[in-house]
Amino acid sequence: MTLTATRFDWVRQLVHRESAIVLAPGKEYLVEARLLPLARRMGLSDVDQLVDAVRSRPRPDETRQIVEALTTNETSWFRDGDPFTGLTSTVLPALQAARGPAERLQIWSAACSSGQEPYTIAMLLEDALPGAASRVTITATDISREMVERTRAGRFTQLEVNRGLPAPMLVRHFQRAGSEWEVAPGLRRMVTARECNLAAPLPRMGPFDVVYLRNVLIYFDLPTKQAILRRVRELMRPDGWLFLGAAETTLGVDDSWSRVVLGRTSAYRPLKGA
Amino acid sequence: MTVRALVIDDSRAMRRIVTGILEGLGYETRQAGHGQEALDVLHEGWTPDLCTIDWNMPVMDGLQFVNAVRANPAWRAVTLMMVTSESEHGQIVRALAAGAHEYVIKPFTADAIRDKLALLGLLPQEVAL
Amino acid sequence: MTAPRDTGLRRRASDRPPAVVDLLDGDTLLQIAEQAWLALVGEDEVLVPLPAPLPADTSSSWVEIVGPWTGAVVLTCGRDTAAELTRALLGEHAPAVLEAEDVDDALGELANVVGGNVKAVLPGPSVLGLPEVGATPPAGSRADTRRVAVLWRGQPLTVSVQSPLHTERENEVPL
Repeated sequence: MTLTATRFDWVRQLVHRESAIVLAPGKEYLVEARLLPLARRMGLSDVDQLVDAVRSRPRPDETRQIVEALTTNETSWFRDGDPFTGLTSTVLPALQAARGPAERLQIWSAACSSGQEPYTIAMLLEDALPGAASRVTITATDISREMVERTRAGRFTQLEVNRGLPAPMLVRHFQRAGSEWEVAPGLRRMVTARECNLAAPLPRMGPFDVVYLRNVLIYFDLPTKQAILRRVRELMRPDGWLFLGAAETTLGVDDSWSRVVLGRTSAYRPLKGA
Repeated sequence: MTVRALVIDDSRAMRRIVTGILEGLGYETRQAGHGQEALDVLHEGWTPDLCTIDWNMPVMDGLQFVNAVRANPAWRAVTLMMVTSESEHGQIVRALAAGAHEYVIKPFTADAIRDKLALLGLLPQEVAL
Repeated sequence: MTAPRDTGLRRRASDRPPAVVDLLDGDTLLQIAEQAWLALVGEDEVLVPLPAPLPADTSSSWVEIVGPWTGAVVLTCGRDTAAELTRALLGEHAPAVLEAEDVDDALGELANVVGGNVKAVLPGPSVLGLPEVGATPPAGSRADTRRVAVLWRGQPLTVSVQSPLHTERENEVPL
């Protein structure tokens, strides 16, 4: 059983609009194979039903999950490395100067996917900050229960650890677990994973010193983008730092942030009194 | 500015695949079927910026090659990246201790090679900056 | 009443090398093989775990693992499949005319990639041999072989991790 042409076209247009990736004709079977698990999780029996459900009542979460299922084979560690360089070169020294040695640093990886981002942050901090394990809490959230469970497990396939993870970090922070690799227990203890829908009122968390909210806003319309940024700001410390995806900005969306250039990337900080 | 890579693997299919990826990124490449052949290329005076090195090869294996390159100060600037199906934790530690800079486990995708070169600052457009 | 002859069986039972069927499950082996295909052959090149009979004319490639567990990792498929697999592996870098040596080399390299990853799952330290290719793979122990049979592009292919035929136990069988 294959996807009808109309439904396949709808998926192609969606993926092209959101990711600029072109799905060639003839890839119907690939769309089927990648989307079937998502359809099943939603309690639907096949991909046709999934497409019909999302077409008739568009929901950004499901749209994002469809796009991610079709575009991300493996997420890279240090994806777009600059926001991580900025963390250790600028943000961490600034926070260390501003906070007492006993204060915990709280970091939020919103939309953590399978866990590469929160564990990248954990590895960097463990290497850069003595005693990081007892001084840093990383909250990793995702809309998808499956992704939250994967993040919690901290297990990655051979192909996943091959993607942009420096070999010295692999051997220092991972052990083999069968055909996969498992993050060291110390790093896993730094990371708390939970489900969270950014487009709905947020649970009580934080206050966060640093927030990574990357490649999420692009899926939402302007009012929702504004609402998300407002709710995120409410969970941040007044002198906190926000990192967005390379193609995202607060400019023209929410004017209560100031943009700080950090090398080849930018961070955003809450404007005082805004 | 040209960036040069020496692709060392006893499988000609694997040499073609790795060479194809590197040339697509703008590298000038040469190939060797084992460590001794690779040392011969270096002794000829063709000094690469990068060597991609398989581990298990006839005549001279990849680890012996890494040791030989690291023993010669003239080749200090050469970046050594293992590309091998040897994938135990201990094997990666051994290769890094011998002086390899990076380690790609087979099987890999073109993206994995590109990501590692980005980490090493060896993507040609960045090298040229 | 004569005392039972010491066959050494008890001693040998405790010294017997670990069995691969206890060390490696079929799902792990399938995952290892599928990752090799998806990364190297192509991102859509799935292996479907459906057993089908191999054709009469097959090619095999294998690598030896020597360590706490000793044996071979063997790939077997039809000769035509081996040629198609070589073209798919080389993609745009495939030569216009495929030589037998190209096919042997490609099949051998796939055995090396699968073998290296199988070795990492088994107790170590072990040494991986260089790949070999032939129409007939080395004989394996029937009792201690982990095999997955899959379809690639609808064509049958098997991946086996096998203890050698001449294990201590089988040597006890009088010739």
